[in-house]
Amino acid sequence: MDKKEQTKKLIVMSILAGKIMLQNGAETYRVEDTIVRLCEARGIKYVHSFVTPTGIFLSVEHNNELFSYIKRVKSIKIDLEKIALVNDFSRKFVNSNMTVQEGMDYLNEITNKKTFSKYLRYIFGGFAAAFFSLLFGGNLLDFVSSYFAGFIVLTALDKLSKYNVTFFVKNVIGSIIITIIAIIFSHIFIKTNIDKIIIGSIMPLVPGVAITNAIRDSISGDFLAGVSRGIEAIIIALGIAFGVGITLKTYILFFGGI
Amino acid sequence: MYFIKQFIYAFISTIGFSIIFNIPRDSIIKSGIGGALGWIVNILINQQLGSSSAGAFLGAITVGLIGEFFARLFKKPATVFIIPGIIPLVPGAGMYYTMRAIIEKKFITAAETGSETFFIAASIATGVIISSSISKIFKLKKN
Repeated sequence: MDKKEQTKKLIVMSILAGKIMLQNGAETYRVEDTIVRLCEARGIKYVHSFVTPTGIFLSVEHNNELFSYIKRVKSIKIDLEKIALVNDFSRKFVNSNMTVQEGMDYLNEITNKKTFSKYLRYIFGGFAAAFFSLLFGGNLLDFVSSYFAGFIVLTALDKLSKYNVTFFVKNVIGSIIITIIAIIFSHIFIKTNIDKIIIGSIMPLVPGVAITNAIRDSISGDFLAGVSRGIEAIIIALGIAFGVGITLKTYILFFGGI
Repeated sequence: MYFIKQFIYAFISTIGFSIIFNIPRDSIIKSGIGGALGWIVNILINQQLGSSSAGAFLGAITVGLIGEFFARLFKKPATVFIIPGIIPLVPGAGMYYTMRAIIEKKFITAAETGSETFFIAASIATGVIISSSISKIFKLKKN
């Protein structure tokens, strides 16, 4: 195999590593770093990568030949384990004589790695929501109600993600479901506090990741990525506020008061 | 007793989030500790100084520094610890109360809670910036 072919393979492998990280919610500066490090580890001198939350651009010069590669990345979800694994992989690849083919196999293994089973996620998501309502001063009945609300909303959102809805609509629907469940529970148990139930159960929707990544990108000098993630956070927050607001307003209009 | 209770609640909530975000199995408990300590700092400052944004700021610094420290110690990206850890500080309650004030047409309350919510979010942001800048300085010194 000639050198040109090998360089191409290396580029494809580093793009794959970058794609896995970006798709699972890594900061863009980390993706850029990883791609450059992977290419430089095998003797390529001129590597420049530019990553935005929606795509990877890479340009490489080696032996008087220019290569460039653009990869559009869609459907960002959050899976921090995969980021950690690719991080480990890049460290290993740089410090050893792993061949490109081996690296490719390793990355494919990471892609196919199982996440926590979905029921475990629903169960613990419910606990997260329930303990939040306690954290904000809810009582035992609020705890139970938020557990159900959190569990049901995570299940519903998982089902919804099959239909390719945008994240704004997803958050609106999620918060509408939460508010309806909270209203129902506040009628079943008199002593519940509707505020605490809603606050606890919207926590799985709030844009914590988008906020953190927006900041971490901005301070590394990636203002484009920082701004676009910041807008994402604002839109999610608006979606949640809209969903809760419209449901409560409708309820007040029809039944008069909460 | 109050603080122990709050610690446990925040610990379990953070663990719940770390499972939603699928963080590596051996890091779940560690991120829970980070998130719970950040929350304790938050309520402590909130009680002593009566300022929720100062609480969120110092809480975020705590989560950030613990996250960066764990990241060096266990060779994992810092986000693995920071993302679940700051979730308890995110002002979901403020967002909700603002919305509720708006639909009840109490616009002055809405402006008050809304601006407070915004300040809390900004303080979290600044806290994370400062803690990761501190860790970058240490990294440079080491090299």
